[in-house]
Amino acid sequence: FVEERSGVGSVLREYGSEQNLLSKPDGSASFIQGDTSVLAGVYGPAEVKVSKEIYDRATLEVVIQPKVGMASVRERAREQCVRETCEAALLSTLHPRSSFTLVLQEVHDDGSLLSCCLNAACMALMDAGLPMGRLFCGVTCAIDAESQIITDPTAQQEKESRALMTFAIDSKDCSVMMSLTKGSFSVKELQQCIAVSQKASERIFQFYRDSVQRRYSKIL
Amino acid sequence: MAAGFKTAEPLEYHRSFLKENCRPDGRELGEFRPTTLNTGSINTADGSALVRIGNTTVICGIKGELAAPSTDAPDKGYIVPNVDLPPLCSSRFRPGPPGEQAQAASQFIADVIDGSQIIKKEDLCIEKSKLCWVLYCDIMCLDYDGNLLDACVVTLLAALRNTQLPTVTINKETDLAEVDIQHKRHLQINKHPVASSFAVFDDTVIIVDPTAEEESLATAIITAVTDEDEQLCAFHKPGGSSLSAEKLQDCITRAVARHREIGRLIDKVIESTKASK
Amino acid sequence: MPVDTKRVRGPDESQSPLVFLPPTAQTCEVLRRPGDRGKGDVRPLFARCGLVSQAKGSAYIEAGNTKIMCSVYGPRETERKDDTDMKSGRLVCDVRLAPFSCQKRGAWIQGSEERDLSLALSESMQPGVCLHRYPRSQIEVNVMVLENDGGVLAHAVTCASMALADAGIEMYDVVLGCALRQDGDSCLVDPDFSEERGSWQAGYGENQGRVTVALLPNFNQVSGLHADGEMREDTLTAAVRTCMDGCHKLYPVVQQAILRAVKRKAPPPEK
Repeated sequence: FVEERSGVGSVLREYGSEQNLLSKPDGSASFIQGDTSVLAGVYGPAEVKVSKEIYDRATLEVVIQPKVGMASVRERAREQCVRETCEAALLSTLHPRSSFTLVLQEVHDDGSLLSCCLNAACMALMDAGLPMGRLFCGVTCAIDAESQIITDPTAQQEKESRALMTFAIDSKDCSVMMSLTKGSFSVKELQQCIAVSQKASERIFQFYRDSVQRRYSKIL
Repeated sequence: MAAGFKTAEPLEYHRSFLKENCRPDGRELGEFRPTTLNTGSINTADGSALVRIGNTTVICGIKGELAAPSTDAPDKGYIVPNVDLPPLCSSRFRPGPPGEQAQAASQFIADVIDGSQIIKKEDLCIEKSKLCWVLYCDIMCLDYDGNLLDACVVTLLAALRNTQLPTVTINKETDLAEVDIQHKRHLQINKHPVASSFAVFDDTVIIVDPTAEEESLATAIITAVTDEDEQLCAFHKPGGSSLSAEKLQDCITRAVARHREIGRLIDKVIESTKASK
Repeated sequence: MPVDTKRVRGPDESQSPLVFLPPTAQTCEVLRRPGDRGKGDVRPLFARCGLVSQAKGSAYIEAGNTKIMCSVYGPRETERKDDTDMKSGRLVCDVRLAPFSCQKRGAWIQGSEERDLSLALSESMQPGVCLHRYPRSQIEVNVMVLENDGGVLAHAVTCASMALADAGIEMYDVVLGCALRQDGDSCLVDPDFSEERGSWQAGYGENQGRVTVALLPNFNQVSGLHADGEMREDTLTAAVRTCMDGCHKLYPVVQQAILRAVKRKAPPPEK
């Protein structure tokens, strides 16, 4: 278990992660951002249903389970975002006619849930050892009533915000892989949020690297 | 020959056009398909609109019903948008409950309504914590040839502008609702959001208003929703290949221009329907 | 209570504003039809083929305010492998009423009315289609009612057969539908919604009912007959005859629409 304390003036909450904590899935990870926590499990490559088979690449299925109740339309929209982000990162052409399944279980939501899902997904995919062309991380930004940008907002901050955006940032050139927004904002604010997220992503990618390094240094 | 090439190597077929800065249907990269709009054609709905973007046809019917406001927002009404992709509109959709794409579209429309404040939910309240309007916005695709979200937003906006609700008052003595079907009034439209969708080919080339075939070959889809104040109400990119901030800026600039085109179209159609009555 | 998790949900309960109207406004006696339409006249029909670009064949029909759209996909492999018929194809009909198509808002989930309509449509269409020409495959007929102003089944039949013809599916004949509302001794052909459902002064009793006939016009054979209510034998026979006459009146319009679609798809060689 690796944990990093956010430094003074840092824009992100304390975050941590644990890989390979479940025995059944082929890869698993938990990701914690402040009080928000998500558990991810990856199955695959495995056999695929004939109806879902794609002849030249693997089929990826993403399921997001809320903490209580049944998954609703909101979860389905998030699943689509996570799935298409993972599809772009995975080299799924290396496993044609097979299936990958990613299950994300919300453990606790205290804001920035989608970005936490993305981070947990990436860690779990790494743990499963699936071939990936790049890594990605999720960053959520909120714009409050005074037009201040808050990264990695808590649920309270999300509620008070005027606009909320979540981005998935690519590890290769820090460009934007996924964007999902709520509320209204100006073009300038969008660009500022992208810039802030790109900056924050560097820290998360460093965290990915450190945690994997520490984990394998024990084994090897 | 060309038909065989198109079937066997669809991606190469499209690339050969994109290299020449045009597309198989003769459009330029930044050109939208012809857009037509028709409002008020469904008499059983309180408001309706049918929009065609190229072949893509989407209809929206709005029905108002009465309900009690929720306890945590006693001064607000409800807007319930749903997008359906019936098997009628394309062979890719199966009968049964809505699939992921339809559900994601419903959520997107709900986010646009919330984000843009197209209608103030307070306006739908008739009497605080007693009675309010529920606007069921049922959007249905009749012909799916790509760019569903743009069509959905246009048809929603036009249908809302077309909507007329009867006046409802609460009788002070009996405490019952009284409906006056003779006196109808239009809704107060607060903002006019318009969506513009883009497809990314081979991680680099950006085209607007993709057809169904272009969508399936593209590596990413982007939808930007702008309002008349050039504010963004949604910037949606569900994964796919990554893009730099500059490229995203180009999309937004095009979306702002598209807003003016669609704004004029809706104004014209609404005016002409009013004039014909 | 089962919750629909695949759609955006509204409040648990809501009522149509029409519920709050005083009840007197709803009773009306139809003595004369609006305009100069006689009791035996069908409504003028607007029919077009080939509007849905993605479908093999499609049609759109507008009769008065009733608006119906239909698209046909197939023939393609049967989905249900267990009852694959080696000798004959399957005709899969699906009728949906759009939520905004009726006076009262309908649910998204398919109700019993839609299922009944789908079954009735399927039974009426089957005798007209050469299903033996499509072994081991299925032909899908999807009908969407955009606005229900009476005679839905009858017009759905007409619309579906136009779409099948547009799709180039082999048929013995087009199937045409016509509905009728029997009210005592008089009858109304091709009734609109208020005529179909409206409360009648005579109330329930003898010779009150609705009849829908599906007809193959070239053979003059009836492929589907749906009647409800209470009618004497001779009244019903007469009603079926009236409906058959109504179908024949529609035939030229349907023929013209199909012809136009064919000409557009395969323009005649220029001289």
